Amino acid sequence: MSRRILGWLWLWLGLLGWALGTQAAELRYQLEATPVAADTWVVEGSTGNFSRDNGGNIVNVAFIATGAGVVVIDTGPSRLYGEALRELIARTTNEPISHVLLTHHHPDHVFGNQAFDPDTLYMLAQGRQALAREGEAFADNLYRLVGDWMRGTEVVVPRHTLEPGVLTVGGHRLRLLEYSGHTGSDLVVFDETTGVLFASDMLFYNRALTTPQSPGLMIWAQELVALAELPYTLVVPGHGPVLADDSAFRQMSDYLTLLYQTLMAAASRGLSPSEVMNLPLPDRFQAIAGSRYELIRTTTHLYPRYEKAALELLSEQ
Amino acid sequence: MGRLVWMLCGLMAAPVLAAVPQDPFGSPMWEYNLSRYLGEGSRVVHDERVQLVVPPFAEDSAQVPLTLDLSAYPGPVQQIITWVDLNPIPHLFTLTPGATQARLVSLNFRVQQATTVRAAVRDADGVWHIGSAYVDAAGGGCTAPSLTGANPDWEQHFGTIHGGAFARLPGVRYKFSVMHPMDSGMVGDVPAFHIESVRLTGPGGDAPLLTMTLSQSAAENPMFVFELEQQPPYTVLWMRDNNGNVFERRLGEASGAES
Repeated sequence: MSRRILGWLWLWLGLLGWALGTQAAELRYQLEATPVAADTWVVEGSTGNFSRDNGGNIVNVAFIATGAGVVVIDTGPSRLYGEALRELIARTTNEPISHVLLTHHHPDHVFGNQAFDPDTLYMLAQGRQALAREGEAFADNLYRLVGDWMRGTEVVVPRHTLEPGVLTVGGHRLRLLEYSGHTGSDLVVFDETTGVLFASDMLFYNRALTTPQSPGLMIWAQELVALAELPYTLVVPGHGPVLADDSAFRQMSDYLTLLYQTLMAAASRGLSPSEVMNLPLPDRFQAIAGSRYELIRTTTHLYPRYEKAALELLSEQ
Repeated sequence: MGRLVWMLCGLMAAPVLAAVPQDPFGSPMWEYNLSRYLGEGSRVVHDERVQLVVPPFAEDSAQVPLTLDLSAYPGPVQQIITWVDLNPIPHLFTLTPGATQARLVSLNFRVQQATTVRAAVRDADGVWHIGSAYVDAAGGGCTAPSLTGANPDWEQHFGTIHGGAFARLPGVRYKFSVMHPMDSGMVGDVPAFHIESVRLTGPGGDAPLLTMTLSQSAAENPMFVFELEQQPPYTVLWMRDNNGNVFERRLGEASGAES
């Protein structure tokens, strides 16, 4: 009798363990480091949107083993991701992490910060302020979108302020450039030693660009012209595949221009925001992941300015 | 025995339920809000020609665009009532057309949570034609402090009105925005302060072209779009908020043509 109870107990414990085990196994980021240049690896995310399936792994992060420490560029969407990234770096190189450069304050790029030594975190001054200001709201929204993947994730504002200019670490000379088109403070890292351009979210490729904090589409487009002139050999966009030519720049410029012209024309015709959200997109943009979704968001973020500009101030009679 | 009672209840309830069609969205507020806004026992039909357009998700819960497009609806329209099922105060606006029909109406609203949105259009026989839509949302739009009020110099811009007239063939589209905090009264220590009446009047006009009453679900600094089937020589816009502030402007003439 007691053996039977014991048997049941073991069975239940086994089932419980199995259930917990599979759950834990589900919430594990499968990160891979792809070598793209000397001492340089990219961890590529999908071009999807935040979801409970991908845990927000929709972003490209990168790291460079400089000889005097690893320079990491962005930390991903959650604490869990940050930890997986740190393990991946430790498996790939024996060097300790000396610098973690955070490109901008969007959650998919900085919510892995917790996994890293706070003394290694660096971000531009404006980006730090923006993260301190808006981080909590981003976190709330991300919990809603990806659920349990976010467990234990907290906003960590980097301790050190990064200045634009040249940062030399080991054998790598990194040019740090500050732009504004995507969020108002966007770090781009150009490794002059290898010619790899880490454009972060100044550049999206085969994935629709996002505009929640963009100061303006044409500001972004003008900055891209300057960015495209750098003597790069390889481009790592913030979202989408790594590439060796200027296709991503051309696609971005085309898309920004289309958005600008669409919003201008819509405002001059007096269209309502709902009508803009449902406007047809040219065929060449249908293939870009998330183009309709992001048109809806961009209309919310930016169309009111175009609408206002198309109206006259009406004074009292 | 229990089953028998349930069956009897079902039989008795059936004729009452048959008067109202099923809600394709299955909202718990469907029947309640129908009788609340349209009156008990109103005749109601779903009608795809009442095109209510909202985005599938709210990027900003305090500013969700809504467009009611009646271009496919044969008319004439006696009255339009819109509401947001799961908002604390669901009612958004009631619009009564005048001599010229409104073909399209647009403004932004707030959402407190993911919800169905309704537009009910009353025809000459007193039947309500319902258009429905669903918007997903993180929520909190009704209980978030207004951005306008947080800005220390908001009073300088208070009541500033921008507007334009856009040609449509036939007709005209008026679009105008007013700087107004549109406080919902649901944020601590901030009383409700919002525009509650909007009226468009043509020349010679005691009879308005349209009258709209607004509730707290309307978004701050509202941008209104009204498309009318005929273009009057000129139109006067009149608005009043619940504190008695009156705003009156003449809307321009449309140039160019667009059908």
